[in-house]
Amino acid sequence: MSVADRYSFSCQGRRQVRQPLAAAVLAVVALLAVGCGRTPPAAFRLNMVEATKQRLTPEQERQVGTILLAMFGTPDDPVALPETGLDEAKLRLAAGPVRSDIVGRKNGLYREHCVHCHGITGDGMGPTAAFLNPYPRDYRPGVYKFKSTERADKPTHADLVRTLHNGIAGTSMPSFALLSAVQVDALTEYVKYLSIRGETELALMRAFFELDDEDEGKLPESKEFLFAEILEPIAERWQSAAEARIEAPEMPTDIDLAASIAKGRELFYGDKANCVKCHGVTGLGDGQANDYDDWNKAIVEVTKELDSGRVKLAETSTRGMSADEAAEHRAQVAWVERFGKVLDGDALRPRTIPPRNLRMGIYRGGRRPLDLYYRIHAGINGAPMPAAKGTVDPEDIWHIVNYVLSLPYELDGELGADRMMVAKDRL
Amino acid sequence: MSVSFRLRAVLVLATGVGAVGCAPPRVAAPQPDAEAASRLRATFVSSSASNATAEEATATGTGWAALKGRFTFAGTPGAAKALVVDKDTEVCSRGGMKLLDRSLLVDPSSKGLANVVVFARKTSRVKDPVPTVPAVFDQKNCEFLTPVFAARVGQPVDVRNSDPIGHNTNIAGTAFNQLIPANAATVYKPDSETGLPTMVTCNIHPWMKAYAMFRKDGYVAVSAPDGNFEIRDLPAGESIEFQVWHERSTGPSGALGLAQPVLKWTPKGRFQIRLEEGEVRDLGTLEVPPGAIAGTSGG
Repeated sequence: MSVADRYSFSCQGRRQVRQPLAAAVLAVVALLAVGCGRTPPAAFRLNMVEATKQRLTPEQERQVGTILLAMFGTPDDPVALPETGLDEAKLRLAAGPVRSDIVGRKNGLYREHCVHCHGITGDGMGPTAAFLNPYPRDYRPGVYKFKSTERADKPTHADLVRTLHNGIAGTSMPSFALLSAVQVDALTEYVKYLSIRGETELALMRAFFELDDEDEGKLPESKEFLFAEILEPIAERWQSAAEARIEAPEMPTDIDLAASIAKGRELFYGDKANCVKCHGVTGLGDGQANDYDDWNKAIVEVTKELDSGRVKLAETSTRGMSADEAAEHRAQVAWVERFGKVLDGDALRPRTIPPRNLRMGIYRGGRRPLDLYYRIHAGINGAPMPAAKGTVDPEDIWHIVNYVLSLPYELDGELGADRMMVAKDRL
Repeated sequence: MSVSFRLRAVLVLATGVGAVGCAPPRVAAPQPDAEAASRLRATFVSSSASNATAEEATATGTGWAALKGRFTFAGTPGAAKALVVDKDTEVCSRGGMKLLDRSLLVDPSSKGLANVVVFARKTSRVKDPVPTVPAVFDQKNCEFLTPVFAARVGQPVDVRNSDPIGHNTNIAGTAFNQLIPANAATVYKPDSETGLPTMVTCNIHPWMKAYAMFRKDGYVAVSAPDGNFEIRDLPAGESIEFQVWHERSTGPSGALGLAQPVLKWTPKGRFQIRLEEGEVRDLGTLEVPPGAIAGTSGG
């Protein structure tokens, strides 16, 4: 008996429902809950925000979808082209609906553990996403915060495994330490797949602007273009991530901890490292309240562009326009209107990113001193946090690490309180 | 209130919620063409060596030429807005000095439009090698000194801070976001081209904004305060397509489209020109209508 049959049977069984209207309404509810036919196969969603921003025509959007389908397959049937360096066997373990294979091994891990937040496309727009703060990561730009590599470089496979294993403290991202190493490895591979796919999609959509007139608005589908110009530069950066590891020197041992903390404090408040400007004089993360990370900023910038476009169009009179100009005006109005609708459905409301409150003892990218070294050395990619590399000596970075690690336990004499500083001390 | 009425009300409400759903509806995305995709995938596995195209044989001439012109703005720019400066005011608004929004700079007497970017999209030859002398990108009084900055890929850029307070310089799309301590500098070597100028910001002082443009051939001009621009040493004897951009342009991604039928200037802000050896082509006055710039009114 199908689910639909069972559901309608239970409806008929409710004999106390005598009102015909109520019965009809119940039937509608049942239909809505069950749906009419088979569930369509899972599909990746096109990056509609970028497509609309780049003013792609429906044919151009369709071409991007078709190229992506050829290169990456579907959520149920992923493809790992050799150029991506991805392992298709691992992808298959993570992809598809949740099920057991012939030897009883669990498949469909991404949909079991990740999809409700990160979404089927890895756009960070799963059903629960809007209720979380911070929002789940959108993998499509291929930017990751917590890694052991230089700012511009991709995270290593081990970096992503560590994030899955530990979760991200202070966020909704839980630890997946209870999964087997093989399962975590498969999920990590799948996250990389979604990123490489998303970056390829962005590159394809942006390539339309670079087209020459004789291309007639269609991307070439030759290997020279799709591989050499689009896919390979993206995949190569993922494959070379391990070579971009930050070389952190040993923590200096010829200085005692109290002296190192004192030096770190000086740097924290000084003009060289300047931590105080954003993390605040109290270290409570209240120095800079109105900045956005790159994911949210992209939506903020687009919204601004849209708003100014809307104002401009409203005050432009179509009187006296030539037929061409009027058509151009109408196209512009339609574009602005459509963009508003796309943002409603395909983007979450932008949120500012507060600098980290350093008195909580919660470190999202890991709490080892080395993790903090990486964060200060390279900054945090995608976030406003800049890199200290090059302008602050490695030894000084270690002093800042020691000071930051001491902050949750610092008693603030200036407050005249023999206790640790808390958020309400701001008031 | 009867039970059946209440039941009905609840059901109607439930139907309403069911029909509307919790999330806003998404705009329909075109479905990919599955057949075309599988045909395309088949070409991926076929050997690519056979259909590799030979290096495009473009007619390359000899010698060099120049392109120049002048942008004017036909509308009323309106008074520049003062930026909200709420930090480090002892440096950033020293002596009550106000920082102004520089996104639209029009010379009041000549109507010249500054900071329009004109660059070659593709060229076959470049006259000068990439300079090893650093290009200076400086900031003072909490303002980037170059509103639109251009350098060549591989050329060292001396990112300087001439303020007595710390800044950070964040170049969008490049993953360069570096602390620049007071009166210090760091060197950045752009490693790839930007298709269009990319935004440069300081996260410590969010009102600070500039644009940067990195190109391999360096054939980039930024119009001066009087609207004049010139690109020198362009390869002669080949058709070069130029791209024009302005921060506040209403065109796609800031592309500046002008009604210039002779040049066949497109809405994507492009036109093509073939220059003869030794030629200095003057495009004359290029008037930008108010409709092309966001947030302005007619003149």
